[in-house]
Amino acid sequence: MEQLQLAQLGSGIAIGFGAIGAGLGIGIATKGLMDAISRQPEVAGKAVGFFLVGAALAEACALYAFIIAYLLMAK
Amino acid sequence: MEHWLYSINLSGHTLTFNLDTIFTMWFAMIVIIIFSLLATRKLSLVPNKLQAFCEGIMNFFWGIMGSMNTAKEHVPLIASLFLFIVIANLMGQLPLRIIHLKTGELASPTNDINLTAGLAVIVLIYYVTAGILKKGPKFFLHELSFTGIVTMFVEILEMVTRPLSLAIRLFANIFAGEILVSIALGAFAYFAPLPIMLFEIFVAFVQATVFMMLTIAYVSSATGQEH
Repeated sequence: MEQLQLAQLGSGIAIGFGAIGAGLGIGIATKGLMDAISRQPEVAGKAVGFFLVGAALAEACALYAFIIAYLLMAK
Repeated sequence: MEHWLYSINLSGHTLTFNLDTIFTMWFAMIVIIIFSLLATRKLSLVPNKLQAFCEGIMNFFWGIMGSMNTAKEHVPLIASLFLFIVIANLMGQLPLRIIHLKTGELASPTNDINLTAGLAVIVLIYYVTAGILKKGPKFFLHELSFTGIVTMFVEILEMVTRPLSLAIRLFANIFAGEILVSIALGAFAYFAPLPIMLFEIFVAFVQATVFMMLTIAYVSSATGQEH
């Protein structure tokens, strides 16, 4: 295959595998939030703030993969 | 995404400036400087509306520092980082792209990895300095044992990975948002980008909060009793 096609294939693989981890992470974080709120509804406001920070941290992993994918495509 | 590059030659070395980033960065800083000058011009015991608003913002930072058990003396760094990053991220949604450059475009300055890396290096220098001032040589080596030496090497490794992840996280979020907006613009112009741009306003605040929270965590782990 040519180099461009290989780069496109690689960028697809990169963003795909990166998104798996971020999706799992945000899913687990949401599960934890739901558990916490259903157990103690009065902590909802505080828990959502921490959830957003944690979800942003998990989401960043997918964005690292996105940067790799973009760098591969931009070559 | 291309930038508006300007190179100068300095005795054999080439220095390259990203002029669009410098321009937008100073725009963001001027906004903050003018705002804070206006807010602190006539301070009084009974605050007017602007002063009350700014006191609310400062109370927010003090509350966060209190809830994370960090000394209040670090508030200036935390507050200026948060305010600068918020203003810089929100600038990406301003219609500054109307001004055409030769290459590149005027968007938020945080879509340039050089700026976010600079912010991350500031945080690194700050927390290492604060830790050394607080603990002296014990900042590096807690105890002379196998565990202590292994911990020392892990912490030296963290000095590389922490600023790296800080810089790339902020950069990648803003950059991905702009790519997403431009893709949506190509798909269905003027309507598809709108919800994404609204989401980007939310992302701007969340990313600034994440940067601030991680900075607080690093500083408090460097100056706290137990690591």
